Amino acid sequence: MHTVWKGAISFGLVHVPVKMFSATEDKDISMKYVHNVCGSPLNYVRKCPVCEEEVGWDDIQKGYEYEKGKFVLFQKDELDQLSEQNSKNITILDFVDLKEIDPIYFQKTYYLSPDQAGSNAYRLLLEAMRQSGKIGIAKIAIRSKSSLAAIRIVEECLVIETIFYPDEIRPVSQVPNLPEQTGVNEKELTMARMLIDQLSTPFDPSKYTDDYRERLLDMINSKVAGEEIKIAPARQETNVVDLMAALQASIEAVKPMATDPGETRKPRKSARKTAAETAKASGDDSVEGKPKPKRRTTKAKKTESGS
Amino acid sequence: MRKHIKGTLTIEGQEIVVTNPDKPLWPEAGITKAMYLQKLAALSPYLLRYTRNRLLTTIRYPHGVPGESFYQKNAPEPLPLFVSTAIHDNIRYVLLNGLPELLWLGNLAALEFHPSLHLAGSLHPCEWMIDLDPSLPEEPRIMEAAFVVGEVLRSLGIESVPKTSGATGVQIIVTIEQGITFDELRSIGQFVAQYVTEKHPGLFTIERLKKNRGNKIYFDYLQHYSGKTLAAPYTPRARLGATVSTPLTWEEVSQNVSPSSFHLLNIVERLKDKGDLLEELPPQPLEPILRHLAGRKR
Repeated sequence: MHTVWKGAISFGLVHVPVKMFSATEDKDISMKYVHNVCGSPLNYVRKCPVCEEEVGWDDIQKGYEYEKGKFVLFQKDELDQLSEQNSKNITILDFVDLKEIDPIYFQKTYYLSPDQAGSNAYRLLLEAMRQSGKIGIAKIAIRSKSSLAAIRIVEECLVIETIFYPDEIRPVSQVPNLPEQTGVNEKELTMARMLIDQLSTPFDPSKYTDDYRERLLDMINSKVAGEEIKIAPARQETNVVDLMAALQASIEAVKPMATDPGETRKPRKSARKTAAETAKASGDDSVEGKPKPKRRTTKAKKTESGS
Repeated sequence: MRKHIKGTLTIEGQEIVVTNPDKPLWPEAGITKAMYLQKLAALSPYLLRYTRNRLLTTIRYPHGVPGESFYQKNAPEPLPLFVSTAIHDNIRYVLLNGLPELLWLGNLAALEFHPSLHLAGSLHPCEWMIDLDPSLPEEPRIMEAAFVVGEVLRSLGIESVPKTSGATGVQIIVTIEQGITFDELRSIGQFVAQYVTEKHPGLFTIERLKKNRGNKIYFDYLQHYSGKTLAAPYTPRARLGATVSTPLTWEEVSQNVSPSSFHLLNIVERLKDKGDLLEELPPQPLEPILRHLAGRKR
């Protein structure tokens, strides 16, 4: 397990240095998007629809859309400032009974372990909480987000559960179609309660498995075994230098009419020389446009071969 | 407090208001607004050729250079009756079509003209420009780099005209047949860019992130695209020396001329002598290259 956060629990004068670890993991099988034509996994590109270009992280900032199409932008350090103050502390605000918190509030669970010389303080807090049967309500900032959390005990370990803020929980009153509190048929109620009694057992989590994931894994294994697989081709790096050589050759082959519209069919070499000499000899520019740039080009060509 | 002077010019039958003619626009180069308007008039036959019917972005320096500036895309108000505009992506662009428009904008201290690379209402590029953008504030190798690119194009049967951007870079312009698309030009640009960076890894880069370019010259084949702009040929630039984006001969490039030696104070003379080097370039045969590149990809 790797540490996701480091800091200290503080309540009153007690200070417990702790490290935090994720208590749960998502076992969903992740799949990639693959181009079904060639089998390559796709790149994700951040693209600006207006500039029509890919945007590097250097040119990306966070912005809040306060009105359609209008943004206020934030620098990273501006946002960091907001959360920085108490980012190293889990501050216990109150102690309450676990039963008072509806499970709807619970978000994600982390284990806490004592850090450095914190063992004694850790043990003390754990024991005191066990004996009082209470859990702590605390504030914690993980990454940039500040969360409400419940601290409780699982076996010999302190556990922190991030919980939703009350305004993040939607009220039941928004659920449509809930039946009025009218009476139910007494007989039907008895039947239903009998059924519940029959299905009642102690909670044994090991009974429950993720059927979908198992079926998917089976399918993956059989596909791999049956070699019904698609392998991404090695990315073709066209050798741009070779390509240029081929292109130059093909253009050279059709050259006479392409580059020397003014010249007659003299051998190229001598034509080049005369042009260059003329350019040297005549200091003044000729008035007509056509031969002028041609001369310069040929001259320039000569210079290049020397460099 | 400056005393406000106001007068009007009549150009091609249009009255143009001129305010504060003595306002220094390039104080370092000693250029006042009155001088600037004269230079614009002299530049106009050349400059307008490359701004006509294109979506214009100007950069205005109300207090001269250096100083506060802003990009103006939406046509400034009040809009004189003689100014035509075109709407594109919800922006009402000025079409810089004539001398009256040019002087009107000049009076508003619009010092740089950056037209779209296609005509208003068209999807197709007017010409092709490769943008070589140095990472250093002064890049002694910029002409060398331009020369390399010019040579590669020539080896592909393409003649081109280099021009100073007026700032630190050089753009290489190729006249094209109408109907070629931006994407087609981009594919050639990318190919040439990859080739020269492979051949001269110390000189060129195609790295998108500025911080990773080091001291190399960025071969920008992406800027030439629909909706983007590049400095127009013959546009003045809001640099201390009042430089002008100036087309060069390849001979000048091989002699390593400095971009700073082409500016408002000497451009008119140069144009009298050299004419419009760009206009002399006929459309270049890009089709064979495109065909070859397309064939290679499949």
